[in-house]
Amino acid sequence: MKIALSLLLTAILTNNFILCKFLGICPFLGVSKKLNTAVGMSAAVIFVMVLATAVTYPINLLLKANSLEYLQTIVFILVIAALVQLVEIVLKKYMVSLYNALGIYLPLITTNCAVLGVVLLNIDNGYNFWQSIVYSLGGGIGFMVAMVMFAGVRERLEGCDIPKALQGLPITLVAASIVSMSFLGFAGLVDNMFA
Amino acid sequence: MAEKKSIGKEFTKGLVAENPVFRLVLGTCPTLAVSTSVSSAIGMGIAATAVLVCSNIVISALRKVIPQKVRIPAYIVIIASFVTIIQLLVEAFVPALDSALGVYLPLIVVNCIILGRAEAFASKNSVLASAVDGLGMGIGFTAALFLMSTVREILGSGTFLSGIKDLLAVFSGDIQFNGFTIPFLNENPLTIFVLAPGGFFVFGIMIALSNKLAERNGKPKAELNGCASCPMASSCALIADGKKCEEADAK
Amino acid sequence: MKKFNLKDILIPTVSLFLICAVATALLGLTNSVTEKKIQEVAAQSAAEARLRVCENAENFDEKTDKNGNTYFEAKDKNGETVGFAITTEDKSYGGKIEVMTGFSADGKITGVEILTIDDTPGLGMNAKKESFRNEYLGKTGALTVSKSASADNEIQALTGATITSNAVTRCVNTATEICENALGGENNG
Repeated sequence: MKIALSLLLTAILTNNFILCKFLGICPFLGVSKKLNTAVGMSAAVIFVMVLATAVTYPINLLLKANSLEYLQTIVFILVIAALVQLVEIVLKKYMVSLYNALGIYLPLITTNCAVLGVVLLNIDNGYNFWQSIVYSLGGGIGFMVAMVMFAGVRERLEGCDIPKALQGLPITLVAASIVSMSFLGFAGLVDNMFA
Repeated sequence: MAEKKSIGKEFTKGLVAENPVFRLVLGTCPTLAVSTSVSSAIGMGIAATAVLVCSNIVISALRKVIPQKVRIPAYIVIIASFVTIIQLLVEAFVPALDSALGVYLPLIVVNCIILGRAEAFASKNSVLASAVDGLGMGIGFTAALFLMSTVREILGSGTFLSGIKDLLAVFSGDIQFNGFTIPFLNENPLTIFVLAPGGFFVFGIMIALSNKLAERNGKPKAELNGCASCPMASSCALIADGKKCEEADAK
Repeated sequence: MKKFNLKDILIPTVSLFLICAVATALLGLTNSVTEKKIQEVAAQSAAEARLRVCENAENFDEKTDKNGNTYFEAKDKNGETVGFAITTEDKSYGGKIEVMTGFSADGKITGVEILTIDDTPGLGMNAKKESFRNEYLGKTGALTVSKSASADNEIQALTGATITSNAVTRCVNTATEICENALGGENNG
């Protein structure tokens, strides 16, 4: 339990996927303009991340048993792409309300490096099945925390008087830098809590 | 339209006018993540360029064979194979680079520059033009990484080209040159620049500078149009209101 | 319902399958070429690291102690034991950390090498710097990390990277235990 909680907090705060590991920057900059899109997108990311981890974990064992580890990248990206499509079809058919909420973000997730990233990091870090699931869940929640916080920051930026050259993307990045700086404050938190 | 351009133009457009990082705002994740040191940035640039050129050539050569319906999965398979090949080669011949890039080496697969060029350029143009386009874009990517990492490494670590010996070891193990140490900054580095916030900050300033330059030349400034530059845009309902990937690219 | 057309399904499936088959074949080929080289490189870098932590050694014998830990006994050219090289791993800030510690024949630390580390550049990555690694030299017994190293068995923490400093020290302490077991075993036998 302690391990699970520390893994979860590490992934959400100290090793936030977007703000500390630079995974999933495209949606972070692209879809964080409005709060409700940010929430929808992150909910879809959490869902796909956990599902992808659950599916790739046994596949990795299979690859390892046949010493085919070098096929990891190609197999995982295809599994994620197929999974995203499958989820989309299933949701469309059986869970229309959920599809309406998340569906439009799903195709974007295939090429989201946070999803492939979490799958590869789970393997690199040698987590077991449950640890992997918890880590993915934490990574996804961390993604959501960063997206939602940043959507708030950007809404406040809208009406500001900004030097011309900095308008648009540059000021967004500078704002991201400050948000990311605040997350540096979490470093050490988890280990000191569970030490 | 693109067919009429000379090969030279296909090459140079990726360097400045359509620089993938500063103008098209693609591949932001690796740009921010590996630009903490110049040598890993160069390594990442070369690896991504190699993948980009190879995948552009193959996708362009197969552009009439790959059925429209399954083109995205087909591109992903092709790109992922080249990434794995490069990954294995790096592991075997430049192990130091493999440990420096870590998870970001296999993540070249989802680098939007590569899938983006496959979808926007290689699937419509001749093999030669696609190869040159890939090379230009790759070098543009490498140059952008080089710029970013130069600023971050000098200010953040007080060194320049530190660890380059491990990269040069591919050519000869006898090279002793291992970068410069910047006096004063090395003893008192502004560590924040190699940390995550410094990455966002330097990138923001770089985009601002490139916008300023573009403005002087009467070009529009770089902007991330929601996800119009994303290679999956054409199959994405978010921008189904007519704003398609192709339009974003057709200039 | 749209009319179900076999050709519409078959052609994309077959072509995608062919692309996958060719891709996998190419990867298998590359792997068969590079696999041996990758193992060689790993073995070579481990051997080089062993030489760095045990300077006087000529060659190393791989041994396993009664607890199942692997360690390397360093021998000089006369076959005398001059020290030990022990690799240990622990969890650090960015994930796994792997440290090789070298000991002299009387159990003093002669070298510390960071083999694997995935950490924040500029903070935790400073563990690779010689100034930090040299703090361990000549020490014995269980070590602790502190902000200002005053006692003999204290290591000064890296600025802003206490977790990493702790992880490296835990690795070294584990290695010290293995080394003491190895030394003890020899004295008894």
